[in-house]
Parts: sequence; structure tokens; C-alpha cells
Amino acid sequence: MTTVQLTSKDFKSNLKPIWCPGCGDFGVVQGIYRALASIGRPPHEIAFVSGIGCSSRIPGYTTAYGFNTVHGRALPIAQGIKLANPELLVLVAGGDGDGFSIGGGHVPHAIRRNPDLTYLVMDNQIYGLTKGQLSPTSACGLKTVTSPHGAIEHPVNPLLYVLSYGAGFVAQATPADMAGMTAIIEEAIRYPGFSFVNVQSPCVTYGEDHQQVKAHRTAMKTLASMGHDPSDRMRAFELASHYGEQLYTGVFYRNPNPPPTYGALVKERQAALAGGLPRERILESFIQR
Amino acid sequence: MTTKVSGLDFSKLTLLDALDLAVLIEEEAMDRYRELAEQLEVHNTHAAAKFFRFMERNEAKHREALLTQRTARFADAPRHVRREMIFDIEAPEYDEARTFMSLRAALEVSMRSETKAREFFESALAQISDSEVRTLFAELRDEEIEHQGLVQKELDKVGSGAPGDPEDYADEPVSH
Ligand SMILES: Cc1ncc(C[n+]2csc(CCOP(=O)(O)OP(=O)(O)O)c2C)c(N)n1
Ligand code: SF4
Repeated sequence: MTTVQLTSKDFKSNLKPIWCPGCGDFGVVQGIYRALASIGRPPHEIAFVSGIGCSSRIPGYTTAYGFNTVHGRALPIAQGIKLANPELLVLVAGGDGDGFSIGGGHVPHAIRRNPDLTYLVMDNQIYGLTKGQLSPTSACGLKTVTSPHGAIEHPVNPLLYVLSYGAGFVAQATPADMAGMTAIIEEAIRYPGFSFVNVQSPCVTYGEDHQQVKAHRTAMKTLASMGHDPSDRMRAFELASHYGEQLYTGVFYRNPNPPPTYGALVKERQAALAGGLPRERILESFIQR
Repeated sequence: MTTKVSGLDFSKLTLLDALDLAVLIEEEAMDRYRELAEQLEVHNTHAAAKFFRFMERNEAKHREALLTQRTARFADAPRHVRREMIFDIEAPEYDEARTFMSLRAALEVSMRSETKAREFFESALAQISDSEVRTLFAELRDEEIEHQGLVQKELDKVGSGAPGDPEDYADEPVSH
């Protein structure tokens, strides 16, 4: 593992983003460049995995190794990458549709394994890439192309979802506060285990006015300014339950005693097995039982 | 202002750091105008893109002038201020751009950026005690005021009812 003095520009690829001008993802990717520059791991030691969607294009705009995978499947692939090459810094990006609709079933399993990776969800409460359909985080009553008379379901609360399954680091950010968002992303990357950041990244083309960056600037309230103690998990649940009504930003929960990561447990098990058996006979130990 | 710059104590700002900060502010604005122009070119929003290209060149000139001043005074003395320490001081925010935005809307973006830059230098001045740094920041603030005047002239030329309001073209959900 190398740590060197890097700048944001070291992480910016030559590919020009094709997002709609004004899209929240432009700010998010800048925050990611800066957070990575602070972390100091060179791009070739980073794997950036995504699903499908506008926000899933993020890895392509960085100089890290990128894998724009299949809709909803970024997390399983990222876990595989991390297991195969534990030295890599693994980041995962995707939309609310990618993560909580088609990919929703993968989230609890990633969390309970606790791999050391960071999952950034660009939550714009809409399907952007496919032109404005209802998403799992869309508000009840929202009129879209797939809900012309207004949505009748209630939205998934991504913060409660990940907290309930035991994620050790849960935060929310918005590109309306670039410095705050960058600091949160950096902190998430530094957390040793599964970390989750719900980034309220507005869709200017299909989103509502109150979901835009300008509205966030006045609506947001930092958890730090409220004196929230991120080690208080129960209070984190309470604050997270206001998702959709109140835009809280900052760290809801950070486990003060992070449990061992999946990678560490696997390594331990491999060492225990290899300790008693020659490497080529480890497989036999599984067959015999 | 505190959210726009991290890791710098303005009450102790040296002239070297102040010049480096000023160069970076112009560089950030130059890069941002280029990015916004590129975005709009991809989306065939040519008049606004052309104006952002013009602004990119302007910011490049300002950056160059400040860099010359810095080199004349401090040669290649090590830089303590890094680009990662500043956020959108004179650079327009990303959410300012829109597909099919009019030239007028682009000029308004620029006006807001010049205004926030002026406000930044004004609030920084309130904390600075070094007389040379004060002179530099006062000059920079006055330049922003001058730029505001220039943008206002362009806005007056364009008039109010300029065609190409993005709302005329925006994709709307079918039900709206
Ligand atoms: C298996 C599969 N089903 C559906 C799609 C179509 N599809 C592509 S992106 C997307 C949803 C995009 O929304 P989101 O994940 O929230 O990302 P955003 O574009 O808003 O960033 C859908 C349904 C697909 N590509 N693959
Ligand atoms: S459709 Fe929405 S999410 Fe997709 S690029 Fe455009 S603004 Fe961004």
C-alpha cells in the first residue's frame, strides 16, 4: 500500500461527462476526486465499481480502475474484487434505483459480511438514465411517467435500511455543501468496514424543484450543528427516520468499535486451515466434512 | 467564507500565501468555465458555451497576471496553499448550467460568480491585518466590482426577453 501526495487532478480521467448540465453528479465526482487526493492512495490501487444509471458513470470519470457492471449488481462484484485483491481500495457507486430497487437484495448481505468498502448512492429519487420513472426513494404522490396519477407507495428509507442491517458507518451528504460532502466521503473511505453514504445528488432534468442544489442549501441541517454523537446508534435511527422530510447531513452512525471485516475473517480462517494442512489439501478439508 | 477555504488562517495570511490563493481562485474559475462550456457544447447550447469560453480565457489572463506578480516577488518559493483547500470561490457552481440555457442566463451565472468572489474578498479583508495582503485583496475585490460592471453592460445589451429559456425545452413528466 502506497500513500503519496496527490491532487484532485490525478483522479480526473480524460473522459468528458455526458450528464445533463447542472446534474448533481458533477459536484459529487469533484468531491470524490478531493477525498481520494486526501486519502493519498494512487489511482492504480483503487477499484471503482458501479451498476447502471447516470450516477453509475462516475467510475469512468476517475483514473481508478473502473468496472461499470450490471444494473443492481455492483455490490456482489465489488465484494469479489475486494476478496480477490484485499490490498485494493474498493469504492462502489450507483443510483437509488440501482441500489434499492433491482439491487436492494444485495445490500443486506454486503452489510452482514462487512467487507471493507465504501458504497456511495447518488439518491435523486428518480430513475435518471431511463428518463424519469418512479424510483424506490420517490416520494409518495410523485407524478412521473410511470406514475401519472401520483405514486401510491411509500419510499424506501435508505438510511434506516442500512442502519437496520448493521452497517458500521452511515452518512448523508449533498453537493450543496461541497466541503462537507468531501469530508464525509473521505471519512467513509477511512472507516475500516462497510461504509455507506447517501448522497442527495439532484437530477435537474426529472427532479422536483425542492430537490435541487439551491433548495438543499437552505434546507440542509448538519448533524454536527445539532450536537449529534455518531456513536449513538439509537439516536441515529431516530434522526434517520426523518429521511424525506428533513435533509440532515453528516455522519448518523459510526461504530466506535468496528468489528473484523470479512477480509480479515477469511484471512484468519485460511491461516487456520493452512496452518494444519498443506495448501493443496485445504480443499479436501471441506470435502471430508 | 470558512466553508470555501479550509486550513488557512486569514489573520495570519502572508503575501506569498495570499498570492498563491489568488492564483488558485482564478485557476479554479478558469477550469470551471471550461468544464461548463464543454458540457454545453455537448448539448448544443452554443451561445452560452461561447460566453463561458470567453470567461475561461479571461480567468486564464487574470491567473497569468497574478502568477507573474508572484514569481517576480517570490520566485519559486514553495507553495503552501493547495487547490484542494478551496471550493467554488469565483468558479460558478456546477448546478448553474442548464441544457439550452440562454446567453442571458449564462451572463447571470457569471454575475453571480463575480458577486460571490467580491463578497469573499470583502469578508476576508475583515480578518486580514498584513498591509500588503490587505492591498492585494482590496485590489482583487475592486477588480471583481469592475467585472460586475462589464457583465452588467453585456446583460443590458442582451435585454430581458432573450430567446432560449431552458423551460421552453425542458423534458417534463407526461402528467405535468
Ligand atoms: C437488468 C436491467 N433492468 C433495467 C435496466 C434499465 N435501467 C437502466 S438504469 C435504470 C435505473 C436508473 O436509475 P438509478 O439507478 O436511480 O440511477 P440514476 O440514473 O438516477 O443515476 C434502469 C431501470 C437495465 N439496464 N438492466
Ligand atoms: S437525467 Fe438526471 S441524473 Fe441523469 S444526467 Fe441528467 S440530471 Fe443527471
